[in-house]
Order: sequence, then C-alpha cells, then structure tokens
Amino acid sequence: MTVRAILPRVRAQLSVILILLAMLAAGITLAVVAMRGRGGNPSEAQQVQQIAAELHCPVCKDLSVADSPAPLARQMREQIAQKLRAGESPDQIRAGFVAAYGDSVLMSPPKRGLSAAVYVLPTIVIAAGLVFAVTLVRRWVRRPEAEPVEDDAAPMSASDRRAVRGAVARLRQEEPDQ
Amino acid sequence: MSYVTRRRALLLGVVVVVVSAVAVLLSVGLRRDPSAAPSPLIGRIAPDFTLSQLDGKPFTLSTLRGQVVVVNFWASWCTECHTEQPALSQTWQRFQDSGVVVVGVNFQDTTDDAIDYVRKAGVSYPVVEDSDSRTALAYGLRGIPETFVIDRTGRIAARIIGPVDATKLTNQINSMLSAGEQ
Amino acid sequence: MGELGSYGLVLGLVLAGYGTVAAAVGGRTERPALVESARRAAYALFVTIVVVNGAMMAALLRNDFTLRYVAGNSSRETPAFFRVLALWAADDGSLLLWNLILAGYIAAVALRFRRDRPGTFPYALSVLFAVQVFYLILVNGPARPFATLAHPPADGVGPAPLLQNHPLMAVHPPFLYLGFIGFTVPFAFGIAALLAGHGTDEWVSIIRRWTLGVWCFLTVGLLLGALWSYSVLGWGGYWAWDPVENVALLPWLLSTAFLHSVMLQERRGLARLWNVALVIGAFSLTTFGTFLTRGSVLSSVHAFAQTPVGPAYLTFLAVIMLVGFGLVMWRLPTLRTPARLDSALSREAAFVGNNTLLLAATAIILLGTVFPLVVEATSGEQITVGGPYFKSALTPVFLLLLLLAGTAPLLPWRVTNRARALRRLRVPVIAAALVMVAAAVAGVDGATAVAGFGLATLVLVANGQEVVTGLVVGRRGGRGGILRTLVRGRRRYAGLVVHVGLALAAAGITASSALSQQTEVTLKTGQSTVFGGYILRYEGLRTDEQAHRVVLTAPLKVNEVGGGGAGTLDPRMNLYPAASEPIGSPSIHRGVVWDLYASVISMQDNGDSATFRLYRNPGVNWLWLGGFVMSLGGVAAVWPARRRRDRPEAPVSPAPARTADKVGAA
Repeated sequence: MTVRAILPRVRAQLSVILILLAMLAAGITLAVVAMRGRGGNPSEAQQVQQIAAELHCPVCKDLSVADSPAPLARQMREQIAQKLRAGESPDQIRAGFVAAYGDSVLMSPPKRGLSAAVYVLPTIVIAAGLVFAVTLVRRWVRRPEAEPVEDDAAPMSASDRRAVRGAVARLRQEEPDQ
Repeated sequence: MSYVTRRRALLLGVVVVVVSAVAVLLSVGLRRDPSAAPSPLIGRIAPDFTLSQLDGKPFTLSTLRGQVVVVNFWASWCTECHTEQPALSQTWQRFQDSGVVVVGVNFQDTTDDAIDYVRKAGVSYPVVEDSDSRTALAYGLRGIPETFVIDRTGRIAARIIGPVDATKLTNQINSMLSAGEQ
Repeated sequence: MGELGSYGLVLGLVLAGYGTVAAAVGGRTERPALVESARRAAYALFVTIVVVNGAMMAALLRNDFTLRYVAGNSSRETPAFFRVLALWAADDGSLLLWNLILAGYIAAVALRFRRDRPGTFPYALSVLFAVQVFYLILVNGPARPFATLAHPPADGVGPAPLLQNHPLMAVHPPFLYLGFIGFTVPFAFGIAALLAGHGTDEWVSIIRRWTLGVWCFLTVGLLLGALWSYSVLGWGGYWAWDPVENVALLPWLLSTAFLHSVMLQERRGLARLWNVALVIGAFSLTTFGTFLTRGSVLSSVHAFAQTPVGPAYLTFLAVIMLVGFGLVMWRLPTLRTPARLDSALSREAAFVGNNTLLLAATAIILLGTVFPLVVEATSGEQITVGGPYFKSALTPVFLLLLLLAGTAPLLPWRVTNRARALRRLRVPVIAAALVMVAAAVAGVDGATAVAGFGLATLVLVANGQEVVTGLVVGRRGGRGGILRTLVRGRRRYAGLVVHVGLALAAAGITASSALSQQTEVTLKTGQSTVFGGYILRYEGLRTDEQAHRVVLTAPLKVNEVGGGGAGTLDPRMNLYPAASEPIGSPSIHRGVVWDLYASVISMQDNGDSATFRLYRNPGVNWLWLGGFVMSLGGVAAVWPARRRRDRPEAPVSPAPARTADKVGAA
C-alpha cells in the first residue's frame, strides 16, 4: 500500500485519537478538581457565608442572608458569627432560626415530608426526558421509507431538471454540508 | 363510539383535567395572604430578653410572668407604627392596673430618635432598645409593626402583623384575663 | 384627560369586539369584505389605544392628580423622565402599555397581510382581537387606570423608590412586554391552523420569523432585567431565582426550543404536533407569568400589590389552555406524519435532544417555582424554594445543552460522515480540554465550574470554526464571495453567531458563579481596607439634596495595591420620602475580566463611619457581551431578505416540505 492510500485512514484515526486524548485529559482534570475540593479549613467568615447562604432573608424577596444588603440580614450574619464562636454547630444555628421563623426561612425546603418531593423532581424530569428523546429518535429512524406519493403536478422538463441540479451544485459549493 | 372518537375524547379529557388542576391550584394561591405567615412560636414560651430601656435601666421579660404582656416592635421611622400608637397607648391606660403590661421594643433605630418619638407621642409604657436585633430575630420578625400577646403562663397567644386594632386587642386581652381567673 | 382615556378604552373594546366577530364570521362564511373591515378595525384600534396611552402620559406629565393612578404613582418632585416611566410602574398603568403593544402587533399583522393572505388569516385575526378584548375588559373593569378621585390631593405619592432609581427602568419592561405579548401572534395563527384542520406547514413558514423576532425582544428584555438587578439593586448578583424572573425565563426557553424544532418541520416534516404545542405552551406561560405577577400569588420584587385582576387572569388562562391544547388533541390525526429520520447521528436527532433538555429545564423551573404553592395548599406549611435548588438542579441540564450547542452545528442533516465530523470536532475538543486544564491549574474550585469553562470553549471554538470555514470557502467562490455567502446562508450564520454569544454568556455565568469574592467592612472616615488587589479609603459622607430625594454618597478612593491606577467608587444611599428605608445604589468599576463593585449598606455616627459590601465579580461583562451578541444574531436572522434579480421571489405560501427539502432552501 502506498503512503497516499494510507494517509486518509491515518487522518481519520488521528482525529479519533486526538479527540479521545483530549476527552481523557478533560476527564482526569475534572476528577482531580472534584477530589481536590475546597482547600483546608474554612475561616469563620467563610463558615458564616455558608450558613447564611442557606437562609432566606426574612425581609427580602428571594435573597439569601449571605447576599442580602438589608440591615436585618447583616445582623443575622453577626448573630451567626457569635453563635459559631459560642460553639454552636451549623445545624443548631439553622434550627434556631427555624424555631423563630418556620421552615420558610430555609432557602431550600427541609428534606422531610411532602417537601422532599421537590428534590426528586429534577432527576425524574431529566430521566423521563432522556427516555422520551431516545425512544422518539429510535422510532423515527426505524420507520420504513414512506411510500412515494403520487404527484399531481406535471413532471419536470429536462431543462428544469438541469436548472435545479445546477442550482443545487452551486449551493453545495457555497455552503458545505448545509 | 369509534376508536378515533374514543381516543379523541380521552385526550380531551386529559386536557380538561390538567387545566382544572392548574386552575384550582392557582386559585388557592390567590387566597393566600403573603404577609400572614403563621408563626411557629404561637403556643410556645415567649423567648426571654433583657434589654435596656431608653433611660438605661434594664428590663427582663420573664420578670413579668403571671401578667399578660403585649410586646410591640416599632421604630420612629415606621409610618404604620404611628397609626397604631393611639391604640397601644389606650390599651396601656385601660389595662395597666389589671395585670397587663405593654412594652415597646425599638427596632433598628437610634436612641435619640426613639426618645424623641416617645416624648412627642406621649408613650408612658416601658420602651426597650433591641440594638443588635437579637430579640427581633428570636421572635421571627419579618417587618414592623408586629405585636405579640403573651399570656400569664408566658406563652405566646397571638401575633399581630401590621398596626393593631384597638378593639381586637382589647377583646383578646379581656379573654385572656378572664381565662386566667377561672 | 381622564375622560378621553376612559372613552378611548370603551371605544377600543367595541372595536376589538367588532374585529373578533367580523374576522371570524368573514372567514367562516368566506366574505372578504368583512375580513377587510376587521383589518381596518385593527388600524383604528391601534390609533385609539395610542391616544389613550398618550392621555395617560399627558396626565402624568401635567400632574393631573384627579386621576387615582397619577396620584398613586407620580408626584410633583418626580423628574419628568420618571413621570413618563410611571406609566408602567404599577398594575393599571402597565395594562395600558400591554394593550398598546398588543394593538400594535395586531396592526402589524393587519399591515403585513394586506395583500397576500394565507387562508388562516381571518381566524388568526379573530383570535388576536379576542385576546385584546380580554385585556380591554380588564382596563374597563377590575383595573381602571382612569379612575378618578373625589378629593384629588395636592401632590402625589410618587413612584415606588425602586422604580425611579435608574433609567434602565425605561427599557426593561417595554422589551419584556414586546417579547411576552409577541407570542400572541404565533398562538393566534396556530389556533387558526388547527381550526382550519389542514396541516401546519404553512403556519410554520408564516410564524417562524415572527417568533424569532419575539425571541429577540425577550432575550434583550431578560438581559436588561439582569443588568438592572446587577447595577441597581446592589446585592452584587444579576439573577435571584425570583418567581417572576423564573416565569419570564420559561417562554424564552420554550421559544428557543421552538426555533430549533421548527427546522425539523421545515426540513423533514416532523414534529408538527410538537411545534404547535410549544407555541400554545409558550403563550400559556406568558399569561401564567403575568398572572403570577399581578395575582399576588407568590411574593417577589416585581409583584404589584394585591389587585382584583387575579381571578380574571385565571379564567383567561384556563380558557387559553383548554382551547389551545384541546384543539391540538382534536386535530391529532392531521398533525401526525409518517416522516422518518435517516440516522440517529444527525442534526435532527441533536434537535430532539435540544428540545428535550430545554423542556426539562422549563419543567424544573416551573415545578420548583410553583412547589411552595402546592405544599401550602395541601399541608398548610410554608416553604421556600430558592436559588441553591435551581442552581443545582439546572446545572447538569445547561451543561448538556452547551455540549449540544458545541457539537450539533458540526453535524450535517440526515446522515453524518463520521470521519468528517470527527475531523471538525478536533480543534474545538482540544481547545476545550486545554482550557479545562488551564482552569484547574489556575485554581478554579469545583468540577462544574471547570466543566462550564470547557464546554463554553467548545461552543465558542466549534461555532467560530464553522463561521470561518464557511467564509473561507465562500471567498473562493468568486465575486463578492464572503458577503454572498453570509447573505445566502444567513440563517445558518446567524445561528452560529447566536451560539457564540451563548458561549460568552455561559463563560460569564460560570465565572461569576464560581469565582466571585465578597467582603463586608466598616470604615471610619479616612480609614482604608485592602480588597481584590486594591486599597479603598472611605473619604467621608457627602450629602446631596435633590427635589425628589436625598442622596447620601459614601465615596471610596481606590488605588491599586502596587501603586498607580487611581479612581473612585461612589456607592450611594437614596432617601425617598415615600420609603421608610433608604434604597442603595452600588458603584461599579467595570473591567474586561472582572468588576470591582461597592455597595454602602449602612451609615453610623452621622456618616462618620459606613459599612460597605465589596465584591470582585469576574465574567459579568462577558455575560452582557454574550447576550448582546445573541441578540445581534437573532436580529440578523430576522432581517428581511433583500430581493435580488437573479433569484425569483419566494412565494408567501411556500412549497410543501418535500420539495423544500430537495432543493435545500434556507
């Protein structure tokens, strides 16, 4: 076999190899980053942020205590810091606010009772969607070729056919794989 | 019915059911009053607090156990608080010798502004300052004015959001006083 | 003024009612004269509503406090600019704007089809008028903007402070309305096509560009909303997963899905049922969205005070859904086609994936937003479903969408030549991997952030590569090659550009979500702090008394840590007489890669000491740029084609899908 004959095949293989290598690198990177996690022990300020991010600012619409510029939110953050210093755990701090405000002070619903349903919803939706998509594509691909339909219009003349072919060729030239 | 007609009817039925469910759900939402969030504190012992009054003297809630206490959160910059002031002062005048205490908790305000307001409005019941909002947070405050009515055993009997209505407050206190006597 | 407005609204209602009946009857009994009269009624209606809006605007500018709306939403001190904006500040007024835009769309439809008319035109016009009737009933009934006060006050209350803080309020609602209301047109034509009972291929050709235009408006409107949230609200973010924000996003997602799946119908005759359902769904969601905003169902920044229009909207929404989806089910047999796909590895299949993912995102956002209602209705408990939930649920969906946006444009229609596709994927995938490694090395935390950067790169390079190769080939094609290529393949290149914008926006969102830093610090006058590579010194309080507010500025002198590069940030607190608490305005120093953002959240000791929140927000400007590019791409796709002599003009009613497919028409 000549080099010229092998070249296209090598080129095709080259694409596959490069893409696989790139995907491998990407995968390893993601794994490394995922395992690396957040470095070291979070500072007090970071801990306050984390807890505050899970609490809903009671005087705002839809902002967390971490994000909200409201004065009450600021005071809540200070109180969280004080409680941390006093040795309370994040769970205890959250429970303290829930005791005063109810479950609606949590940014995400508690994982018990009816509210837990909201956590399964996304998985169900995505899974259902994927199943639906795959089934649909397979059904469409497997359909038999449609019966050629009787065309009422007059058949194309030879010159028309040539004109159409020429137009298609020009378009193909200008828009590859369009 | 033919298969096609039956199928159509079924699909139409599905549409009707889904739309009705949506409509019912949303009409429930219409009746929802966004400001009347039920407090989880009702029926529980009121969170205790020790705060300084405007003249500096300390004030502790639990020392009032055995009396009916009306705790009102307010601020000098809160216009709705001005509208409920007469009702609160009236209540205090009426019940102060019957074992009822009204106490105002000043929220996110300055001492000077609070003293000013108290003087101008002629407030005679004790007023304390909640400078770091610790008490407000303990009571689950979402805005002002909010008023809590605490019974003689120290439990929170009611939470009123917005300006208090004098008549309703009077009725509430009367029913709590008579219940205690029995 | 008030009378002019009230009578105008009644006249409008009469015209719209006439239009509804005349168009429907004219279409049913095939009397073109009736349909023509309905068409003219559309023009008359538009003029009437313009006059009505003008009357309200005049009343606002002239401080006519006899009108309840003016007294409640404007004041003498309000600057003229914001007095005009007060037109859409509150429910009643914004309904006037809604009616205006809707009437404008109907007039545009009447104008567009003044000569060549598809068979569905009469019914579509009737449906459009019917929707207008509903909105006119609202302003004539439960929400009357021209209601008068028995004792007009000397001065008005003024607009809500948040709404007069920033000129962005001028453009955000109108664009959003143009987007929302625009969905009425595809919906109307869809209903008409279903009523007529014969296939929806013609409908698709009428509606595709229209929906694209509406999509552009909605994209710009959403972008402006995010920009407003970021530049005005002072919390350093641009999207709070507010219920009203969420429902505004839903029609955008559905219309994006439609713009893709419509190509399935055009090229392969597939997805007919799906497309009609999408459009009805999008219109239902816009109505649902306005219901949520006005019916006080869920609390949010936008929710106007409790109004009596809630039940009316609910009824309207129910009617729309019943009629729309009911018709779809009724006409199910005519919508099914025996068309097929040639291969699972093709652009068509990718579009199915795209639609599935966009629908999944829509479902997740809708269910999550409505969930607190459901829980409260059943168990009485109150819960919150906030940002963290949506972010974690939607991240995988959006990442997968990015993956599709980076690979599908490289897939041809019908069947893929595997080797060729892989060759085209080479550079994008390698670029993506390199960026991911670089991000990881640079210390980016979180696998999703790294993945986000990688996928954004994939989309950017893949679509950019397609544009470049297409242009290069075009250049070889001779005279005016590049321009001709661009114009001929306009839809394709516009789509690629939109994807490029998407990539930029995705990179911006990833960067700002994962790499933002913030801190809170209290400074006395003259005191400095170090943050984000800058030294910031509080210069002391500056007060500025204006006609309608008092502005307290807490200026910060900014110097780079290494010396040099000085500037100032002026975060403010605005005190409005109507508001009990001050409204903050942040100060932003925008950079190419990241913004330095300062908010003053409180002042103590008469301004001697102030508490600041400082943010370092990377990537936010990429989001604005990306959004802008997406809108540009959309506009390029909508722009009407110039007629050229070397090509015969395409007929209004195009050839059926089979022939179009053979010639590969764009």
